[in-house]
Amino acid sequence: MTLSTADAPTAGRVVPKWTRRRTWTVRILGIAALVSIVCTVWLGLWITPPDKVQHQLVRLLYIHPPIAWVALYCAFGIAALASILWLWPRTRSPLWDRLAASAVEVGAVFTALTLVTGSIWGRPTWGVWWAWDARLTSTALLFVMLLGYLALRRVPSDADTRSRRCAVAALIAAVDVPIVHFSVDWWKTLHQGATVLNANLSPTVHGSMAWTLLLGFVAFTLVFAWMLAMRLRIETLEQALEGAELDEALHERWAEGDASVGASARRTEPAEAAP
Amino acid sequence: MSYIVAGYAIALTTLAVYAGLLVVRRRRLERLAARVEDEQS
Repeated sequence: MTLSTADAPTAGRVVPKWTRRRTWTVRILGIAALVSIVCTVWLGLWITPPDKVQHQLVRLLYIHPPIAWVALYCAFGIAALASILWLWPRTRSPLWDRLAASAVEVGAVFTALTLVTGSIWGRPTWGVWWAWDARLTSTALLFVMLLGYLALRRVPSDADTRSRRCAVAALIAAVDVPIVHFSVDWWKTLHQGATVLNANLSPTVHGSMAWTLLLGFVAFTLVFAWMLAMRLRIETLEQALEGAELDEALHERWAEGDASVGASARRTEPAEAAP
Repeated sequence: MSYIVAGYAIALTTLAVYAGLLVVRRRRLERLAARVEDEQS
């Protein structure tokens, strides 16, 4: 594995220096995410008018598609890209492995929320909590694959093997993303077609509804970015502490070894000195 | 309307709880890292 200089802990420093400089950026990102989420909720629940067809239920669509956008495209896009960068020998760095792992964990939360908010919207709209529809099934499959990735990270092995296994798993799971996206076009599904990212790229939502939906996309993307930064920091700290613990254990063993060699040398010294 | 409230409540509560867990985990690890750094130096 190639270690970049940015990842290498310096003497007396467990955590790489670069992770400390970004605290203010992450704080500002967190504040922006919070403000935009509050604005989305306010517009979505109180300001926008009810829909002609879906009536009040349209309000759920100000959070469900943005959450799905983050889960499918942001989280998976980053996880897949970081996995490719880790697998490519020229760009290999532990940072990509950590980034992929962080994106997958945050993505799993958003995928679970995509399924839950979609199900809550589907119950009054379709009359059922769940249908084995192509879009729903492929998203559920994606969620299971995400859990598989997270389980794979916990399998005991050396860092290099774990990173390789996880990178391959992330790329296998990423194959499902275009299937989820195009499932409404490829098969006859209960789930409605794309409202914004449709084949003609002409959104079928307008006015205050469109602006609220757009704000929802921005808000949840900011939330994702903040969570990813936090999770990446945690992953960096965990790996740095693992390394520090290993170093400490090795030093203890060496010290024990030195002490036992010294003691045995002292025991043999009088016998050698006697003649 | 109850479905809408439930949807927003579940989504926002889950994200808030996860965000809180991230903050707690980060702080705990930072304290631990600071302690290890002190011991090493």
